[in-house]
Amino acid sequence: MATTTASITLSSQDILSNAISISSSSTLYHDNTTATGLTQFKSGRVNVYVTGGSFDLIPALASEEASSTNSYVYICNKDTTATNYVTISIYNEVIGKLYAGDWMFIPWEQNDPVGDNGSDNDIEVEAFVGGPQTIEWMVFTESTATILDASGD
Amino acid sequence: MATTTATITLASSDITDNNISVSNTATLTDAGNDTGVTKTTGLTRVTLSSTSNVVLLDSGETGGVELARNAGGAITSGKVFLQNLNDRGDGSKYVTVLLQAVVIGRLYGGDWMFLPWEGGVGNDLEVTPSSTTDTTLEYIVFY
Repeated sequence: MATTTASITLSSQDILSNAISISSSSTLYHDNTTATGLTQFKSGRVNVYVTGGSFDLIPALASEEASSTNSYVYICNKDTTATNYVTISIYNEVIGKLYAGDWMFIPWEQNDPVGDNGSDNDIEVEAFVGGPQTIEWMVFTESTATILDASGD
Repeated sequence: MATTTATITLASSDITDNNISVSNTATLTDAGNDTGVTKTTGLTRVTLSSTSNVVLLDSGETGGVELARNAGGAITSGKVFLQNLNDRGDGSKYVTVLLQAVVIGRLYGGDWMFLPWEGGVGNDLEVTPSSTTDTTLEYIVFY
């Protein structure tokens, strides 16, 4: 096992009449364990171009047999132009827009729910303006089989 | 305008043979410019004690949190922080977080998430606890 921690601090001195400071830290564990850390991760840095279409940033597992019940995803838009953004979706459901400098961290249902090598839970990215925009990502996971895609050849 | 920042640190000394340490700070702004977000729901705490699906954040125009909209009426930019305050316990209890019918993932006791939120009708943020054990969640939206 490994010990991986994710920490966040949210702060503002002036969005309310009193300051906000919220902090939280969690350790990324296996499902159904009290203290067994996740041991697998993948990461990347890619340029996303405006093409009129979306791309798989982090594909779901290729089969339901490769069961993963507990994954975490980090995505950051490294662009610096305020008007630029990408949308992040789970398959066709748009989660939201990551503008330049924005990041997100979510738990992720990585399984392919019907085991058909489909794209049901793929995390997808699409750029609409500017570009190319540089996106960095990491996924921490557990699984009962490889998290790699089959080569298909 | 206001200045609100969100900082993440991901760290591990043993998931690979070299340390991982990633840290980033985002300043939360309105859509497409450098103006800081000016609205927030404030921090909210709820306790759920059934396995029924509930709408945590209603983004529709008729109720709940209505995200800031630009002149054309399009949804702009929201950021959501959500955490499960329960103890981890045996690691079997969690809440499933959904965007309407689409599962995002599971928040176990002690877990948190931070995400942009497209909002709009049909994009309610929902949760479904895995057990009837009291589950305490905290959340805040900046928009």
